[in-house]
Amino acid sequence: MSAHSVAVSRGIAKRAIWLLLAGVLALAAGIYFGRGADPGGGGSKADGQALLGLSLPDMQGQEQGLAQWKGKVLIVNFWATWCVPCREEMPEFVKLQQEFGPRGVQFVGIAVDDPAKVRDFAAELKLNYPALIGGYGAIELSKSLGNRVGALPYTVILARDGTVSRTQLGPIKPNELRTIIDQLLPNNH
Amino acid sequence: MLAAVVVRPVRRRMSPIVAWALPLAVLFAGASAPASADPKLLEPERAFAFSVQAVDDKTIEARFAIANGYYLYREKLKFAVEPAVLAGAPVLPPGKIKHDEFFGNVETYRGLLAVRLPLEGAKAGTTVTVKAESQGCADAGVCYPPQVQRLTVALPARGAGPGEPVNATPAKKSWFN
Repeated sequence: MSAHSVAVSRGIAKRAIWLLLAGVLALAAGIYFGRGADPGGGGSKADGQALLGLSLPDMQGQEQGLAQWKGKVLIVNFWATWCVPCREEMPEFVKLQQEFGPRGVQFVGIAVDDPAKVRDFAAELKLNYPALIGGYGAIELSKSLGNRVGALPYTVILARDGTVSRTQLGPIKPNELRTIIDQLLPNNH
Repeated sequence: MLAAVVVRPVRRRMSPIVAWALPLAVLFAGASAPASADPKLLEPERAFAFSVQAVDDKTIEARFAIANGYYLYREKLKFAVEPAVLAGAPVLPPGKIKHDEFFGNVETYRGLLAVRLPLEGAKAGTTVTVKAESQGCADAGVCYPPQVQRLTVALPARGAGPGEPVNATPAKKSWFN
């Protein structure tokens, strides 16, 4: 091997080490920032399918399959009446449901609660989207959808093709939610 | 993701800009698909670390070490013991009043909460299981569902002094063990 080619391959090796380091950093960042580093990257589609395959009773005890909202921008919010931050953000969801409902946006609440308390709060809030009753089992469900610590509120946003486009632990800023909805709706300009 | 970054430079040489842009692109792709906003919140058993210690042969102290930025609701705390019974209602210290727009004034605990549980019908040298129910939230804007935790502690012999504390959650392992 000539001195020149040794130097070149050293250069390549050096660069490869830097790239490896950068790659490891990127991977760590992916893990740090959430679930972007899921093996295969197919988690969002699978999670979306799992969610759309669910069926839960509504406030009247009628089973509601989430598949009925397939094709819409679906915003699934895990909440409870005992969760103050949940109660605080729901009036905004009511507003957005009214504004964007006709354009194919559907909010669905899954309550980690019992039906009577949910009915009372829904009436008080004039809730204009379905509140499904999940009970404490819904915490495990939300964990399977990426809610690492099992706290509330937890929101999963599905794009129209059924893939998870965003998850949020804790309240979503109204402006941010509006931007996300805009981006997920067709002909948004 | 990692493989793509490492293999490429071996196959063909890239300009330094491309060599840096690629991992950066991967970084941003990793951070945005699907986007996930998750403040660095603690699991409930770490946010509200529960432990018990026998003070003497007929008193147990139950403790919650509440992490900074988290709080427990006073009225949601419940304690029970078995096989003994509580000699009286546990004396909960006064909490800090928090005004809540939905629930009015509620009392909350932060930092270290210690509650004495007086036992009745407990035999020195036997074990007692303490069941604690708690519910709390984080200032970051999330609430945890009620947690039920059980810890079993040995009562010391009469006059023997306090027993060892028993923790519900082991200390967090470091990255390297």
